[in-house]
Amino acid sequence: MPKYELVLFKNMAQSGYTGSFTDYKKTGGYTAFEKVLKEGSPANIIDEVKKSGLRGRGGAGFPTGLKWSFIPKDHVGPRYLCCNADESEPGTYKDRQLMERDPHQMLEGMAICCYAIGAATAYIYIRGEFDLGAEILEDAIAEAYKAKVIGKDIFGSGFSLDIFVHRGAGAYICGEETALLESIEGKRGKPRIKPPFPAIHGLYQEPTVINNVETLANVPHIINRGAEWFASIGIGKSTGTRIFGVSGQVNRPGNYEVPMGVTVREMIYDIAGGIRGNKKLKAFIPGGASAPMMKPEHLDTPLDFESIKEAGSMLGSGAITVMDEDTCIVWAAMNLMEFFHHESCGQCTPCREGSGWVLQILRRIEQGHGREGDVDQLLDLCGRIEGKTVCAFGEAEIGPIVSSIKHFRAEFEQHISEKGCPFHPNAALSMAH
Amino acid sequence: MSSQVTLKINGQDVTVEKGTRVIEAAKLAGAEIAHFCYHPKLKPDANCRMCLVEIEKMPKLQTSCSTEVSEGMVVETASEKVVDAQKGVMAFLLGNHPLDCPECDQGGECQLQDFAHQHGAMTSPFGEVKRTFEKSYFGPLIEKEMNRCVSCLRCVRYCDEVIGANALGSMNRGSMHEVGAFARQELACEFCGGCIQICPVGALTSRLAMFDYRTWQLKKTESICNYCGDGCTLTLEAAKEEITRVSSEMGTGRNSGDLCARGFFGYGAINHESRLTRPLLRLENGDLEVTWQWAFDKTSEDLKAIVEKYGAKAVGGVISAQCTNEAVYLFQKLMRETIGTPHIDSGARFGYINAVSALTEVFGTARLASYEDIVQSDCLLVFAGEMTETNPIAALKVKEAIRQNSAKLITVSPYNARRETYISHLPHLAHQHLQVQVGSESSAILGLTKAILEAEPASATPQAMLAKMKTAVSGISFESIEAASGISESQFQKAAALFRSAKRGVLIVGRSVLRGAEGHEAMLRLAELAVISGQIGRPGCGILPLSKESNAFGALEMGGAPEFLPGLQLSDPENKGYNLLEMVDAAARGEIKALYLVGENPLRSLPQKKVKAALENLELLICQDLYPTETTALAQIVLPASSYAEQSGRFTNQEGEIQKLRPAIDPVGNSKPDWEIFSTLTGKLNTKEKTPYQKLRGHVSADAVWKEAVMAMPEGWSTQKGAKPEALSVYAENAQIAWQLPEKTVQDGLFALQVGQSLFHAGQMSTYASGLTTLLNAPVILIHPEDAERLSLDEGEQVQLSTEDNKAGIQLPVKTSKKVAEGTLFVSEHFALSVKTLLPLSVDKTTGVPAGDSGWVALSKISVAAS
Repeated sequence: MPKYELVLFKNMAQSGYTGSFTDYKKTGGYTAFEKVLKEGSPANIIDEVKKSGLRGRGGAGFPTGLKWSFIPKDHVGPRYLCCNADESEPGTYKDRQLMERDPHQMLEGMAICCYAIGAATAYIYIRGEFDLGAEILEDAIAEAYKAKVIGKDIFGSGFSLDIFVHRGAGAYICGEETALLESIEGKRGKPRIKPPFPAIHGLYQEPTVINNVETLANVPHIINRGAEWFASIGIGKSTGTRIFGVSGQVNRPGNYEVPMGVTVREMIYDIAGGIRGNKKLKAFIPGGASAPMMKPEHLDTPLDFESIKEAGSMLGSGAITVMDEDTCIVWAAMNLMEFFHHESCGQCTPCREGSGWVLQILRRIEQGHGREGDVDQLLDLCGRIEGKTVCAFGEAEIGPIVSSIKHFRAEFEQHISEKGCPFHPNAALSMAH
Repeated sequence: MSSQVTLKINGQDVTVEKGTRVIEAAKLAGAEIAHFCYHPKLKPDANCRMCLVEIEKMPKLQTSCSTEVSEGMVVETASEKVVDAQKGVMAFLLGNHPLDCPECDQGGECQLQDFAHQHGAMTSPFGEVKRTFEKSYFGPLIEKEMNRCVSCLRCVRYCDEVIGANALGSMNRGSMHEVGAFARQELACEFCGGCIQICPVGALTSRLAMFDYRTWQLKKTESICNYCGDGCTLTLEAAKEEITRVSSEMGTGRNSGDLCARGFFGYGAINHESRLTRPLLRLENGDLEVTWQWAFDKTSEDLKAIVEKYGAKAVGGVISAQCTNEAVYLFQKLMRETIGTPHIDSGARFGYINAVSALTEVFGTARLASYEDIVQSDCLLVFAGEMTETNPIAALKVKEAIRQNSAKLITVSPYNARRETYISHLPHLAHQHLQVQVGSESSAILGLTKAILEAEPASATPQAMLAKMKTAVSGISFESIEAASGISESQFQKAAALFRSAKRGVLIVGRSVLRGAEGHEAMLRLAELAVISGQIGRPGCGILPLSKESNAFGALEMGGAPEFLPGLQLSDPENKGYNLLEMVDAAARGEIKALYLVGENPLRSLPQKKVKAALENLELLICQDLYPTETTALAQIVLPASSYAEQSGRFTNQEGEIQKLRPAIDPVGNSKPDWEIFSTLTGKLNTKEKTPYQKLRGHVSADAVWKEAVMAMPEGWSTQKGAKPEALSVYAENAQIAWQLPEKTVQDGLFALQVGQSLFHAGQMSTYASGLTTLLNAPVILIHPEDAERLSLDEGEQVQLSTEDNKAGIQLPVKTSKKVAEGTLFVSEHFALSVKTLLPLSVDKTTGVPAGDSGWVALSKISVAAS
């Protein structure tokens, strides 16, 4: 019996729940949408979402209601909603579960959002590798059309909505909202210069809201149970539940929905069953690959946006990666940098050139070819990337590097002075590919 | 609201236009900000991050190329934070950059070198293995060296935003990012050279001049291109008296720095080994190269002898419309005044005279629209489907209007408009494409005229003209127009309404009308169409006739036609000279005994048999040319002329803009500029009293000739722009407006054959440019793939084209292209003039323009000979 009340996972936790339209309908599905179409005005919905304190679950934690309110009221021409389902942050797999197991929950959230912002077209930009998710969503959309909860003149309200699934082609950067827009438009996925922001010039240069899957899945519940109920969950400005995906050397890795504000300790040692083999915790990443690493001394930090930020990291996508005492931090940093280097879109100089440069140094250190001054050069290079790139990818890629050096500088120095990795004596051999 | 914004840059107040970018404002304040991806021609992309500046109240550094100024903004471009950031970006750019400056053609004019000098560290912090790419090529003319690339994407953006060819794109990610080509279709790359010009480093360079120069050795001279009437300013760059490279400075000239393949890669013709370098006399016992003194004496003596024997009218002269204003002026003066013959014509006879003569008749001037008018227009009616090929830079202006003003484009042309053609093909960009049958443009003029007359003709139209026009079209039904042109009534109405309702409409007319049958009359009807559409006499409206030659407008204005004296003053109808074709006929009759041909090769441009017989009938043929031709082979005297790159002078482009040529190199060999040759001959032939100095030297410079020419012009000759209302009312009173019932042109079982221009060639000169012959050096028949399949023709297969009169016909290979409509064929004229022998030649009843660009032919497979 879970300790905390489930909201997003509630339906799928019931045995026999298939996520079909019929099943979803039985749990009271689409009543929220019907309710807003019949009773609510768009302005009221936005107010309600604002009052609930719902914040973006993709990574940045931007207040959702506020984002919706940026769409110009007097705009003539189309507006769009893009649901960001390009879940690619290493360690993150919550949206996948939400889409595959309860697709109508997020579709209803999308429908409500579209009504609130006046969009008649919505896109779900789904990660290319999510074959199953895309198929399930296509089926769910077909069901929804058939049941007339989307399509023309829904519930006789005069409001019409079309939802399309757009599959990505394998680029992490397309999860960045403006690169996502470019990609839907059929162009190479690379972030746009901001301003202008998508709320004014988004998809096809029209006002656009881009929300994460989990964010939108929360919306029907806020409408059904009220902003006050939602705001009562969590702590401070981090309201509602959050799905944390725990991975790494824990006994029970997986997605867990808990109210925001539970501590990291509770998450790792209680909910996820503690470290495998009773090893000691060395470090953890609290919010996906781009969140700076944290140390055991941070175990009592509550998992909410503000507390994690205060502790020097970010809640990000809610993916908690646990590293035990046998983990080589240089190797971990290098491994993350391999990912970021592979995924840098190549548009702007600091990220394009910096990612390759930083990776080469990390590889050298791990292989035992580190040089004196390498660590300082790494920090210097990270500093030259930070704040100078087109999009937030620059900050994302340096997060793990700067934090791992901050917390484990001695381990880097040890690699250099001992000319090798104390954890992987044969690193050079195993990496010779 | 004020459109001015005042901000502080490095403590200095700067006031600039609203919307200015910080980087531009800083430049005005004297602070140049280092940059790579920024370019004034392109939309900001902010990818290089070199131009970061500190702006008060903004937490992060901002890219000055993408940030617009705002009132009270405080900008620091050289603070410690900024300098540090620039150093960082520079270190990143130099990290993987190869140390190949000594062999890089960009060395010396490389932005990376320059900014590294200013912002780079003395030592490189980069201690890793450099990432490397293999060198590769974009086609035969462009080298791609991605190790040097700074990924600023200027090339990609220029190709997308300015040229509209979309030939380039980004490939791969992260530090393996590179620029790649997506040129899978015909003409996907137009080889305009723009990517080479705009590349800040040596990533894209020309293969044509690889390793031929170091940039600082080049002597640069700004001049005007002579490949078409667009009038582009280009910089001829010479090393050791040889043109080694051509560029065009951003923003300069009518072309604002954009060039086409001919301009950028076509310079090889100038220093070509085939150039004529010494005067040549053809004597009974062989050819003799002689000195200029000898050649001048011989020429003047022979001409004098003819005049004495047969009278002055036995002499005729034809000058190319690619000669300067000074040359044409002196040539007509030599003919008319010194020799005393009225028989003087120019290459403008091949079509452009139809435009100038009709437009001056209706409006009192042919200066009716400029490129600015095109760019700012909201509707363009273009009777030139091949505009990208004939006049590439003027076509860029059309694209700019579409891109920037969402101008509506209406094209009238036999070409297909489908996307599969190629992206910068104008009909492909059209809002409405009236796809007429080959040679039936005049039916389309009729259809549009009728549609406007029946709707709401402009109220400013003179009543007399309106009445005449209404009468003229009254008996003609849209059904008969549709039968002839293939365009329905509703299509005409839609296009007519669009053009009629435009705030600023410009009509553009190309060779399909000007060189088509009865082009003069068609041009008059188009002028009337512009009047009833209300697109005349208001700012920003007008008509632009496209010229194939660089100085067709000028040649006419300088008096290079029997009907026009300098300044387009009408010549004495009592003593009217012969035009080109009439001269040929007169020579055949034995009436004309001596012909002086300057840069003209009628054996190529007119029906060969007839012209050859006529030329052989002459007693004296003088040819003045750059290269030996079929015609120079028949001449008794051959004078070597200098090319446009070797002389001063002026060209008047198709807008009527008079622009200056400057010599970039000394005359090749012993060649002389045309004006100088005429000046000396004038001195030698002139019997009137002259000062000894004039007798000896003639004019001292092209500028002196120009001064004299300008004095001969009527007042306001070059300043009058836009229609003269008084001229229009005179025309309205006197005009005879008539429309023939259009005839159905399609001939069953035959193909409509159109001869036209290729983007890569213009006239004969371009066929000497190795850069251009690399792109196209053999004739080919374009045929629609469906037709090819129906006739089971393979790509490149030789076929036979023939007509009733010419059963033997000619044989050429075919190439499939979706640009041509089914049932039509296109042959580029530059390498297949023989194809013209298949086409009927009609002569314009008013202007005598020979029209022979289209006709009907049978196409048949060649059966394999049993051998």
